[in-house]
Amino acid sequence: MAKNSINEPYILDTSALLTLESASLLEQVLILFSIITTPRVIKELKEFANYEDTLGRIAKRILKEEKKFSLKNQSINNKLEHVSETDEELYNLALKENLVLITDDIKLTRHTTHKIKRVFSTMFLIAFFKAGMLTKEEVLEKLELMRNIRNWKDNIIYLLTKQELEKSTVFQ
Amino acid sequence: METEQLNLRVSEELINDLNVISGLLKVNRSEWVKTKLAEEVNKEKNRLLMELSTLYSKGMIKKKDIEELIGKEIAEEMEFIKQTTLESNKMGIKLGKKLHK
Repeated sequence: MAKNSINEPYILDTSALLTLESASLLEQVLILFSIITTPRVIKELKEFANYEDTLGRIAKRILKEEKKFSLKNQSINNKLEHVSETDEELYNLALKENLVLITDDIKLTRHTTHKIKRVFSTMFLIAFFKAGMLTKEEVLEKLELMRNIRNWKDNIIYLLTKQELEKSTVFQ
Repeated sequence: METEQLNLRVSEELINDLNVISGLLKVNRSEWVKTKLAEEVNKEKNRLLMELSTLYSKGMIKKKDIEELIGKEIAEEMEFIKQTTLESNKMGIKLGKKLHK
């Protein structure tokens, strides 16, 4: 799956980090891209890591890679209603740096509509497949791991990504 | 939290069963029923919405149909998630092209 780094910067929130690591994709994402997040996200991950459940174990693995993240403090100059301070911070960072926010948090995605560019973490899965870094079998297997279907909202992301992957072919 | 009265008539047998549970668990009968009802309603709601979202994602049902069935709010949220997923997929394809070079 080796490819050279293109060093493109992306901002990732807690939900995206957890999803990517659940499918063992984070390592590759960190090699290829410049991943930016905030100290509050690290704090959230540490809170997850306090528990000995699946998410806790995934959070511990992410924290081992902490040094590979570019951590940026960001003041909240533009308020965003109905979301946490961590989310407000990420939103402000994306706004200031004019970067894409990768998040699987529907609430955050919804409240930032037309304000910043944000996409679901499944974007990386599609990219790795199209670039020929993962086979169709591998991406579908990873999508199952990322699926983490807890509700109907995740179900839509999963099914539409699966449809895209099934009809897609690798770039020649 | 606002509440609304729900009038239910239940069989004597069910009342007896509830009395057994209430006695053994040392809980208030009505409170126990309320908790169980909330759990079941949530479970069933999720199950039905999962089915509906599957039909919607597969194009077997339209936003308008969902609106008619359960209202505008959920229909709009489904549409929003669909559009964001499609945008994410498009960006993934673009990024894949860059990585391929």
